[in-house]
Amino acid sequence: MRLMKPLPLPDPGEPDTRSPVRFLLWLLSRQWRTLVVAGFFGTAWMACIGALPGAIGQGIDAGVAARDTDALLLWAGIIFVLAAAMALLGMIRHQMAVYNFLVGAYRTVQLTTRHATRVGGVLPRRISTGEVVSVGSADPVTIGTALDVLGRATGAVVTFVAVAMVLLNISPLLGAVILIGLPLQALVVGPLLKPLQTREHTYREEQGVLTSRANDIVAGLRVLRGIGGEQLFAEQYTRQSGEVRDSGIRVAVSSAVMKSLQMLLPGLLLVAVTWIGARLTVAGDITAGELVAVFGYTSFLIMPMSTFLETARKYTSAHASARRIVALLRVTPAVADTGTTAAPDPISELADPESGLVLRPGHFTALACADPGDAVAIADRLGRYVDSAATADGIPLTELRLADVRRDVLVADNEAYFFSGPLREQLDLSGRADEAHVMAAVDTAVAGDAVDSLGGLDGELEPDGRNVSGGQRQRLRLARALLVDPPILILVEPTSAVDAHTEALIAHRLRAHRAGRTTLVATTSPLMLEQADEVCFVADGEVCATGPHRDLLRTEPRYRAVVARETETSEAEVSV
Amino acid sequence: MKTGLPVAETAETLRHVGRLAREHRGQLTWTVVLYACASAAGLGAPWLLGMLIDKVTAGDGGVDSIAFAVAGFVVAQSVFAGLSHFVSGRFGETIMARMREDFVKRALALPLKTVERAGTGDLMTRSSRDVSQLGRVLRYAAPESLVHLVSLVFIMVALVLVSPILAVVALAVTVPVLWGPVRWYLRRARPAYLAESATYSEINEELAATVDGARTIEALRLAHDRISRGDRRIAASYRAERRTLFLRNVLMPSLDFGVTLPVAAVLLTGGLMYGADMISLGMVTAAVLYANQAGEPMFMLLALLDELQTGEASMGRIIGVGPTRDEETAGRSTAPRHGPAVRAERVRYAYTDGHDVLHDVDLTVTRGERLAIVGPSGAGKSTLGRLIAGIDNPGHGSITLNGRAVADLTLDELRDEVLLVTQEHHVFIGTVRDNLALADPSADDARITAALAAVDAADWVAELPDGLDTRVGSGERSLEPSQAQQIALARLVLADPKVLVLDEATSLLDPRAARHLERHLAAVLAGRTVIAIAHRLHTAHDADRIAVVQAGRIAELGPHDDLVAADGHYAHLWRSWQG
Repeated sequence: MRLMKPLPLPDPGEPDTRSPVRFLLWLLSRQWRTLVVAGFFGTAWMACIGALPGAIGQGIDAGVAARDTDALLLWAGIIFVLAAAMALLGMIRHQMAVYNFLVGAYRTVQLTTRHATRVGGVLPRRISTGEVVSVGSADPVTIGTALDVLGRATGAVVTFVAVAMVLLNISPLLGAVILIGLPLQALVVGPLLKPLQTREHTYREEQGVLTSRANDIVAGLRVLRGIGGEQLFAEQYTRQSGEVRDSGIRVAVSSAVMKSLQMLLPGLLLVAVTWIGARLTVAGDITAGELVAVFGYTSFLIMPMSTFLETARKYTSAHASARRIVALLRVTPAVADTGTTAAPDPISELADPESGLVLRPGHFTALACADPGDAVAIADRLGRYVDSAATADGIPLTELRLADVRRDVLVADNEAYFFSGPLREQLDLSGRADEAHVMAAVDTAVAGDAVDSLGGLDGELEPDGRNVSGGQRQRLRLARALLVDPPILILVEPTSAVDAHTEALIAHRLRAHRAGRTTLVATTSPLMLEQADEVCFVADGEVCATGPHRDLLRTEPRYRAVVARETETSEAEVSV
Repeated sequence: MKTGLPVAETAETLRHVGRLAREHRGQLTWTVVLYACASAAGLGAPWLLGMLIDKVTAGDGGVDSIAFAVAGFVVAQSVFAGLSHFVSGRFGETIMARMREDFVKRALALPLKTVERAGTGDLMTRSSRDVSQLGRVLRYAAPESLVHLVSLVFIMVALVLVSPILAVVALAVTVPVLWGPVRWYLRRARPAYLAESATYSEINEELAATVDGARTIEALRLAHDRISRGDRRIAASYRAERRTLFLRNVLMPSLDFGVTLPVAAVLLTGGLMYGADMISLGMVTAAVLYANQAGEPMFMLLALLDELQTGEASMGRIIGVGPTRDEETAGRSTAPRHGPAVRAERVRYAYTDGHDVLHDVDLTVTRGERLAIVGPSGAGKSTLGRLIAGIDNPGHGSITLNGRAVADLTLDELRDEVLLVTQEHHVFIGTVRDNLALADPSADDARITAALAAVDAADWVAELPDGLDTRVGSGERSLEPSQAQQIALARLVLADPKVLVLDEATSLLDPRAARHLERHLAAVLAGRTVIAIAHRLHTAHDADRIAVVQAGRIAELGPHDDLVAADGHYAHLWRSWQG
């Protein structure tokens, strides 16, 4: 079996989301093999670095001081081999560390993506875009670095113990001074680091706010350049930037103090060790070479010590990231997919008892609501985006498998999202329609100009369809819904951003395009209503009149008030 | 029609760095001096250790005083290191603040045309990614490199002082080992790391899209597709990571090896020299320790080189948003105002050469008139609106406002004359009041409330938790698109230009609210010239005159009743629209 499988892994697995710690432990357990290997190479690499002072000491003692050329050659050779081994082992260690980083980071992204697709529409409402950006960019990195550091952390533990043994062997007194002195320093510096980190954290947040301020100015530049206010915004920004600068300088003060301490404490320990060592050497207890080695070992031990601190810091950040990730992974869908009954294939008649609306199979029905909110609520119920009493062929939707409902009923609203990619793929999601079918749907939606503006069906659509206008986006959405060609299509205000010329064309063509299939259009536009086989008029949440547009105009004054675009009546409204 | 913003050349960037360095000469000098002191103090310990060894092997006393001296050096080094860290931190912060403030000022002075053409995406990347990248370099990489450079120089000087021969030996084995791999790496690193970070942006964008489009994924059953797309992005990122890993696999072992090798070489040579009585044991020890000590700064310096390269690139993109020239066209015309509010004569315009979207359009709008422009999508309505608002100049023909050519007006004069509001809107981070006051900083609450009332927004603003003081915009309370549109219109009321061009400015409101707002607004704006581009025909019905634009020409022009009576295209449309 290959140790380092190519990434991404086909299946990220089922995470343990009971708590952030459990999530981190789960991540560790999923890649324990490569972590163990990283630990091995981390140890071997650090051992070479740790062995260097000893080799230097021996070289000076046995080679230089003893004027023994053979020994000198031997120890110079050993240092040479150590250098080569350090290079090679370091490379492998780094390779493993990066792999562990990537496995953890990618797995986090995969889990988030998979969960987002499972949860559906409720997600953007529960988790803010900012948090998602963090979960998508910063958090996988912190998780990854926490896995990355483990190899070195293992090496640090092992070499720390080994060097401690060597030191104790050279001189129990020196060994004891070092082994008590170093952790003592960590205990002194550790608590001091905390306020510095808090200050740095505040500073980073202030920087974040400043960056969003700059982004905001840039995003609204058209407005500012069009209408004015540049001076105002420039002054505000300069003031905020100055505050961030001052806060950064305050951070520099504390981090300078910290920097001094981090140099001073190990430095003084080194002096103490050297001084004691020198006296021991004078007394003849240890050799000059051993003194050099002790000096070297003490300098070396600073490295594993700082790796311990680094590991602790990285796991603190990883814990915070894991908390955000777990929060996202624990969001549950708005409706539970607990139904087990297979739906009729295809569903033919949908009904919403709450409003009294029944969709006749094969009909082109229009839904005119006095309150636009009613249309959205009815569409949500019929498409089972909320639990309700709605039925398909008499069976409550809640008892049916959700996948079956999604297969046969498509609710297309104006918030529907466009993903980036070639327009053809984004319109024909199945990838099975031929050019003629795609163009037929584009034609029905009168979206030819949108297709042309992208340079044809092979043009690239940006995320959220940002590179087409609002009106074009709406028509492309319609074309996409038509190409899905569901047995039951529910369109919510599909022509609200379209000019009257185009709307008339769409209304006419839509009816022909959907001939023989069930279609519901929620709209108050006479151009669209005119085309419907039947219009259901909803007031106060209930269907209160049904019939062709022309008939309802005559018989139902409330309907007339909602849809007819009369020109005289509204004078009274204005004076209100 | 994306034309990217300029990027400064390396030479220009370096000149800019030079200017900044001269302006902050004092701080910079202090930084270097303090680093030098810290490095010098850092060299004391190995030197004294060498002495110590000599004394110890000679059996001399004086060990205590040397140890005391070493302690003195350690304290001095710590103090100097702390001070230099602070001074360089302050220096970095000061420069960083200067750079980002200049960037925002320059962005705010970009000509309207440039902003419209370049779009905001490029500027966004510069204001977020490049500014923070440069910040990292200025706060971390630049001072760190300086520390390592200074200490490396000092160590080499010390080594030369101990023994010039051993210094040459150390250099002779290091340079050949490092030279090739470092050059090789630096040539390839930048594009490889840029590609790598681009793949992370893509992963992030893909994930953000998956969350934003979660409901659509559910509705259109795209889960499988989204997952495999996400995995493909990861696969691309893995490829990019492997590429940079390969580069590091060449560089890092060379560095590790190259900085340790001199230790062996100095030990060997020094030992032979000691054997020949050319040098003392203490000097050999000091030389070996210096050779070992040089490893870290050398390693760090080389490892930081590509970070510095990235900083240079970001800086180029930040200062590339240069000063402007177009806007300087002096307002020559103080000529008295005469002529109609808007006059377009034989106006042509093409986005790409040879494809005119407007063909010889003639149009006159009298002062105080309300003109509606209707017509199918892509007929050229918005283009005409942009030309009238002075955002673009016609390819042929002319547009005059109150007798003065739009092209001759300064930005301030132009704003006084005409403003355009489109369906694209932006709510700034800040209070509702801030969002409106930008149109007229002198406006008091009474005027702001009146402006809100004129666009039917007074009620919902009053219902916000803190009224006018409610914070809105990205990261704060988000407004409905229709509310954002009302804010944009209220700004227009406060700015109070003579000509208003409304391009689908109420399209996001529901039809009845839109009509109510338009009528209300018309009453407030009485006497102003209003050109409204609309897809809803009630706007046309309520206007004084209607221009029907088709295929880049004005096909019909006249009051509603005349056009209906003429039984042309508009009449047909009106009848079907009315239901």
